[in-house]
Amino acid sequence: MEKALRLKAEIREQTGSKHAVNVRKQGRIPAIVYGHKKEPVAISLDAHNFVKGLHHGHRLLDVQLGKKKEKMLVKDLQYDYLGKNIIHADLIRVNVSETVKVTVPIELKGTARGTYEGGIIEEHTDRLEVECKVNDIPESIVVSVKEIGVGDNLHAGDIELPDGVKLASSPETLLVTCSLLAAAKSTEELEEEVPIAPEVIGEAKEDEGEPSEKEKA
Amino acid sequence: MAMMPKRVKHRKSQRGKMKGNASRTNFVAFGEYGLQALETSWITARNIEAGRVAATHFLHREGKVYIRVFPHKPVSSKPLETRMGKGKGEPEFWVARVRPGQVCFEIGGVGEDVAKQALVRVAHKMPIKCRFIKRRHSL
Repeated sequence: MEKALRLKAEIREQTGSKHAVNVRKQGRIPAIVYGHKKEPVAISLDAHNFVKGLHHGHRLLDVQLGKKKEKMLVKDLQYDYLGKNIIHADLIRVNVSETVKVTVPIELKGTARGTYEGGIIEEHTDRLEVECKVNDIPESIVVSVKEIGVGDNLHAGDIELPDGVKLASSPETLLVTCSLLAAAKSTEELEEEVPIAPEVIGEAKEDEGEPSEKEKA
Repeated sequence: MAMMPKRVKHRKSQRGKMKGNASRTNFVAFGEYGLQALETSWITARNIEAGRVAATHFLHREGKVYIRVFPHKPVSSKPLETRMGKGKGEPEFWVARVRPGQVCFEIGGVGEDVAKQALVRVAHKMPIKCRFIKRRHSL
């Protein structure tokens, strides 16, 4: 990802959830800019262009804020309760020469050897934290799972990262496992495991101890 | 009754109110695809079990089904032909409280088309409107 997404931003004079709702109604996304030991600034971005850029894998933004142009990195996004729409964005000021820590999604490629043996691939982590130059941020880290058999694990330390990208997460972070699938239990089997009525915590203690005052009476 | 808690603090509970939307468990976290509730409702242990059976039966031991809801709430009822009063009825069944946005079921280890077909079958067992969602990999 080399090119930065060019966006025009407007400074939000009024902040708060009520005003943020109004900003969203106008087809804009409220955002906050911070970093480089400067004061945080509340801004708004055009929702259509911003979302379109994110879908194309842009993380680096070239934001025109008034007469100034600043390079910013998308630090965090907030979604609505259905996970459909972005409702807020966190942007951090960066320099092109700066080294930053970012989370990058992992993309699994290929069919694991274990799946032919009755196993199933489980993705435990779908993103990794990496350290790299702003211009070298990869869109995703491609991990080949072809060689993974049943019972094998893949850790963050095992994968090859692109040039100029360092791993910031723990190398012990579990990414992918391949395990044999247990047979699904029938309803009857599950009913046998579950008690007829749950144990009541307070009542169990009373039975063990001395009778209560009511019982004595 | 397939799902119910093993230990509870109180045997009976009041009905309560379900306001607002799900603020957590509203994204796919374990599998690749999920079934998201779009309405507020109680989902009974029977509904959940029916959904689980429908999904596992369709998947033919391929892929993994994750259930993200658990029936924590007991619902009591009075026996038939009983006069009113004389205290609260006995717990009859257990329900999970589901608010819009809650991911109820997840499926992993299968392709999108297979997962979609399986989750459509699960959705038919649910007493509410649901939608199919994918895991969000990017930020």
